[in-house]
Amino acid sequence: MAELRYCLAWKRPDGSFQPGETFASFAEAATALSAWQPQSHSGALSTQEPCCTDQVEIWCSCQDEPATVLSRPRYSFVVYGTVAGGGGDGSEAAPWWGLQEAITGLVELERSGQLALRHGQRLRLCHREVFATSAGQKRKARAENIAKTVFMAMALMLVAPVLAILVYLLVKGWPALSLSFFLENPRERMTAGGIWAPLVGTFFLVFISLLLAAPVGILAGVYLNEYARDNWLTRIINLAVVNLAGVPSIVHALFGVGVIMFFAELRRNYGIWVPFEDRCLLAASCTLAVMTLPVIITSTREALASVPMSFREACWNMGATRWQTIRTIVLPNSISGILTGVILQVSRAAGETAPILLTGAVFSVPVPDHGWRAFVPYGLHDRCMALSMHLYTISTQVVNVPEHVEYGTAVVLIGLVLAVNSASIALRVYLRSRKKW
Amino acid sequence: MKTKTEPAARPSSSPGESPSSGRSEVHICFRNVTVNYASVVALREINLEVYRREILGIIGPANSGKSTLLRCINRTLDFVPGAKVTGQLLIDGQDVLKVRNVYALRRRVGMVFPLPVGLPLSVYENVAYAPRRAGVRQRHELDAIVERCLRQAMLWDEVKDRLDILGTKLSGGQQQRLTLARALSLDPEILCLDEFSIAIDPVTTMRIEDILRELKQRMTIVLVTNLVQQARRLADRTAFFMAGRLIEVGDTENIFEHPQCELTRRYVEGDFG
Ligand SMILES: Nc1ncnc2c1ncn2[C@@H]1O[C@H](COP(=O)(O)OP(=O)(O)O)[C@@H](O)[C@H]1O
Ligand SMILES: [Mg+2]
Repeated sequence: MAELRYCLAWKRPDGSFQPGETFASFAEAATALSAWQPQSHSGALSTQEPCCTDQVEIWCSCQDEPATVLSRPRYSFVVYGTVAGGGGDGSEAAPWWGLQEAITGLVELERSGQLALRHGQRLRLCHREVFATSAGQKRKARAENIAKTVFMAMALMLVAPVLAILVYLLVKGWPALSLSFFLENPRERMTAGGIWAPLVGTFFLVFISLLLAAPVGILAGVYLNEYARDNWLTRIINLAVVNLAGVPSIVHALFGVGVIMFFAELRRNYGIWVPFEDRCLLAASCTLAVMTLPVIITSTREALASVPMSFREACWNMGATRWQTIRTIVLPNSISGILTGVILQVSRAAGETAPILLTGAVFSVPVPDHGWRAFVPYGLHDRCMALSMHLYTISTQVVNVPEHVEYGTAVVLIGLVLAVNSASIALRVYLRSRKKW
Repeated sequence: MKTKTEPAARPSSSPGESPSSGRSEVHICFRNVTVNYASVVALREINLEVYRREILGIIGPANSGKSTLLRCINRTLDFVPGAKVTGQLLIDGQDVLKVRNVYALRRRVGMVFPLPVGLPLSVYENVAYAPRRAGVRQRHELDAIVERCLRQAMLWDEVKDRLDILGTKLSGGQQQRLTLARALSLDPEILCLDEFSIAIDPVTTMRIEDILRELKQRMTIVLVTNLVQQARRLADRTAFFMAGRLIEVGDTENIFEHPQCELTRRYVEGDFG
C-alpha cells in the first residue's frame, strides 16, 4: 500500500476546496498551517483565491492518487480569532483560541492517536469570529423558526372559520340589510318586515341582566380577592363560582323555571310578594344574570389580582384601611380589566337562547310600530322577543321565511357580538396604553 | 402612659449603660416576644428596649428575623396568614399587640421596606397619600408636607419640577427615596427602616444618613441594615440577631469594639466562613 500523504486544501469562494501543497507527515502539514492566516482577506495567503480562507482542510490520500473524498470531514475543529490562552479542545463548544494553539493541539492529538486520518478522510479546521453563529446555533435558530411558523399557523387557523362564517353570512344576508330591516317589526307571520321587536327585546334582556349581575359580581370579586382569608368559607365560595361557570345554559334555564314555579306557589299559597311569578322579561334576565355572574366574578378577581401586592402593603404600612386602599389604589388600576370582563358578558348574554327560551322569551309579541311604546315594548312582567330566539324561530319553526331574512338576522346577531367584543378589546388596548407601572 | 422602666436584664448586655441618661427613657419595649410563621419560629423570646430618640441599629445575617421584628411594631404581621405573635410589645407602655385601632398605630410608625414601591399615583400624591387619609385637606398644608418629606428623603431637587409624574416611573433609587418620603409624611414618632439603602447610591445614602441623624432629635429610629458599617456610623446602640434570637445588644461602640459574645465579634468582623 502506498504511503499516505497529507494535503492542505483551502476553501474556494464557491465552497469547494482547492488542494494545495502535499506533505509527508501530519505534523508537517499542521506546521504548514502557520502560513494560514484566517483573517487574511488582504491576500497574505499564497493561494489562488485569497479571499476565502476561513476554512482549511487536511486531506489524507495516497501519493499521486486523488482520494475518493467523503462528503463530510471526519474531524472538525474550530479556531476563534487570535486571542491567545483561551484553552479549548478545538470542539464547537470549546474552540481553540488562535492558530498557534490550534496547530499545537492538532499535532498533540495526532501524536496521542486520538486523531487518525485514513485514506480518503479529511480534517477540517474552521475559523470563526467570536460572535459568529455556529452550525449548532443555526440549527437551533432553524428549529425556532419552524416552531414559530407552526404555532402561528395554528393561531391563524382560528381566524379562518370566523372569516368564513362572516363572509358567508354577509353574502347570504346582504339583500335583507337596510335601515328599515332594523326599524320595522316582523310582519306577515315573520316572513316580512324587520327585527325591531326582537332587537329591543335582546337589548332589554342584556341590560337588565347586567344591571343585576355586574354589581353583585364585582362586589363579590372584590370581597374574594381583597378581604377573604383562605378558610373553608372562601374555598366553598370559590368552588361554587367555578362550578356555576361550568353549568350548561339549558340547566340554568330549567333552574329558572323551577324558581318561577316556586315563586308562583309562594304567591298563591302564602300571598308573599315575589319579583315574578310567571315567565317574563325579568325572570329571563335573572336567569341570564345567574349565568353570567361567575364569569364576572372571576374576571373581576383576575383584574384585581393584577395589581401588585406591594402597592397594597405600602398603603397599609401608612395606616390606610383596606377599603381606603381598594378605593384609592386597587380599583382605579383594575377598573379597565373589570369593565372588559363585564362587557364581554354582554355578547355572551345576547347570544344565549336556551336560558331565555324557557323563562320569558316567546316566538312573537305584538309590538306597536309607533309611539313611545315602540321603544319600550316590554314591561318587566311581559314576555318578550329576543334576537337569538327570533333567529331560531324563523329558521326552524316558521315556513316560507325568505332566506335573506334569516341570514340578515344572523348577521345582526353576530355583528352585535363582534361589535361588543371589539369595543371591549379597544377599551383594553386604550387603557393598557395608559398603564401606570 | 409613659413608663420609665429601668432597662430590664438584657441578654448579655454590655456592662456600660447608655452614655446619655436623657436617652434612657424607654419608648418601645419587647417582652418575651415570640413570632411563628406557621411552623417556622422567626423570633424567639425577644427582650429588647428601644429608647426614645435614639437610633437602634439591628444587624444580623439573613433570615435572622430582623424584618419580622419591624413587622411586629406596626402590626403588619396581621396580614401574613399563619403568623402568630406572643408576648408583649409596649410602645409608651401600651401593648401594641392588643391595640384595636391599628391604623392609628401605623400612622405613628413610619416603615420603609427594602424593595422600592412607587404607588401608581403622582409623586405629589404619593407623599400626600397618608396625610390625606389622615384628614389633611388644605392644599397649602399638603404642599408643605410634600416638600418637607421630599427634602428629607433627598428627592426634592430631582422631582420638584415634575411632581405630577407617576411615582412608578421614577428610577429604583428614586422610588426608594419616595418610599422614605411617604414614611415620613405623617411625621411619625417611630421610624423603622429595613435595609433602606440597598437601592440607593452611596452618595445619596450618606446624605440620607445625615438626615437621619437630624431626625433623631424628633423620632426613635429602628434601623435594620445589612451594612454593618452603616450601623456603626449611625446607631447609638446596636442589636445583633441571629436565627431568631437576640444575641447581644449594647452601645454601638461596645458591640463593635468589645463584643461580649463570640458570635457577635465574628459577625461584625465579617468572619463567618
Ligand atoms: N411571610 C412569611 N411566611 C413564612 N415564613 C416567613 C415569612 N416571612 C419570613 N419568614 C421566615 O421567618 C424567618 C425570619 O425572616 P425575616 O424576618 O425576613 O429575616 P431577615 O429580615 O432577618 O432576613 C425566616 O426563616 C423566614 O423564612
Ligand atoms: Mg429582611
